[in-house]
Amino acid sequence: MTQTLITESKVLDALRSVMDPDLKRDIVSLNFIRNMKIDGETVSFDVNLTTPACPVKERLREQSRQAVLSQVPGVKDVRVNMTAEVRRPPAPETSRIKGVKNIVAVGSGKGGVGKSTVATNIAVSLAKSGASVGLLDADIYGPSIPIMMASSGEPEVKNQIIEPVTAHGVKLMSMGYLSGEMPLIWRGPMAHKALQQSLLGVNWGELDYLIVDLPPGTGDVHLTLVQTVPVTGAVIVSTPQDVGLQISMKTLRMFQQTKVPVLGIVENMSYYVCPHCGGRDDIFGHGGAKKAAETLGIPFLGEIPLDPAIRKHSDTGRPVVLAEPESASARALLDMTGALAQQISIQAFRTIPLTIIEE
Amino acid sequence: MLTTPEQRGTPAEIRKQGGAGMTIRWQDGHASTFGARYLRGRCPCAQCVSEVTGQRLVSEEHIAPDVGIESARTVGNYALHFSFSDGHTTGIYSFDYLRRTCPCPACSGDRPAADA
Repeated sequence: MTQTLITESKVLDALRSVMDPDLKRDIVSLNFIRNMKIDGETVSFDVNLTTPACPVKERLREQSRQAVLSQVPGVKDVRVNMTAEVRRPPAPETSRIKGVKNIVAVGSGKGGVGKSTVATNIAVSLAKSGASVGLLDADIYGPSIPIMMASSGEPEVKNQIIEPVTAHGVKLMSMGYLSGEMPLIWRGPMAHKALQQSLLGVNWGELDYLIVDLPPGTGDVHLTLVQTVPVTGAVIVSTPQDVGLQISMKTLRMFQQTKVPVLGIVENMSYYVCPHCGGRDDIFGHGGAKKAAETLGIPFLGEIPLDPAIRKHSDTGRPVVLAEPESASARALLDMTGALAQQISIQAFRTIPLTIIEE
Repeated sequence: MLTTPEQRGTPAEIRKQGGAGMTIRWQDGHASTFGARYLRGRCPCAQCVSEVTGQRLVSEEHIAPDVGIESARTVGNYALHFSFSDGHTTGIYSFDYLRRTCPCPACSGDRPAADA
């Protein structure tokens, strides 16, 4: 019997046939393959993806296994270990928050579209997938995230640095903490200062994602955010209604004007499933956001139903993706977060570093 | 090659020639070279352009010929901020604005004279 020698380069050649569907490159040239071990007829290696929330994880695992089994003679067993490391887009060291890889803004054209609920569930879903996540409630007009995350504690301040509260595995900071029970009746410069402090004056530690829940519309807080830190991208939450969409378009243009890539649109309150009969009703019309996304060439991230369970779990401080992870609503939110994580990874690869070269 | 407005207004490389000026090479391949005085005279801030009428209040002829750029930094992903040697620091020059004000003959030929 002739013994065919299994070498690392043969295995890598086989793996070059496996493409990452989002980054449109093979997983070897993307440097995803780590810790390869060849032990007799058994080959094992890690596939290090760009996000633990990757929706195509299982597909890539199977494709990698099959590629090695079918293309490298002599291999009897392939063990693929899926790992992930969130990459950060290149940006000048000076202008970013130390340790934070990606800053993702969640915006909407108007209030009441469920932006904070969506932002909260994105943060918790990413944390659930194994990523380290922060959530900054920058909605000065109605900071609601502490309620949705059931965190009653106030952050501690040590040496002028705010220690964020941790809830459901997510590091949390709210502009609401800065005012206590008082309403925030702030003029622009005060909002500007408070957001800068909430971004730069907080001990975020190492984060893969910092989700920023913006106030509705376009204004001071948005400008401060995009001027203070490099934002990886923005998500726009809309209802299917045209009115809601028209206003969301303004938010979209604001991000485009300030060169913040728009990662996608989420259609919230997309349809209603009757808890009594199971019948589906498109209360606000349906599919408006998807149509708009197609027209504008922006990724459509998903449709979230109008479901009393989402509201109930938000009010009691345990987001639906944790409270009822198997429900249709939770699955819609988890899938949407996966689609978003893909877009963030694509963006991190696409961004060209902006530094000023001194001659 | 067909280029998008996105590429035209996004820099591929930014180089600063000391205090004298800067060159931006854009993603569509075009390069714009800005002198310090040219930039200072086109500051888009509210002190230099009337917020109400949009009329330019401070233009190049009001600026000393030897004005320099003391420092420059990026603003988020979308703009540059300059500190000029005459003490003026309030302008935020978006990349789209910089591309529109490119002083090269080909670009300035496309613009109405008052703007150039």
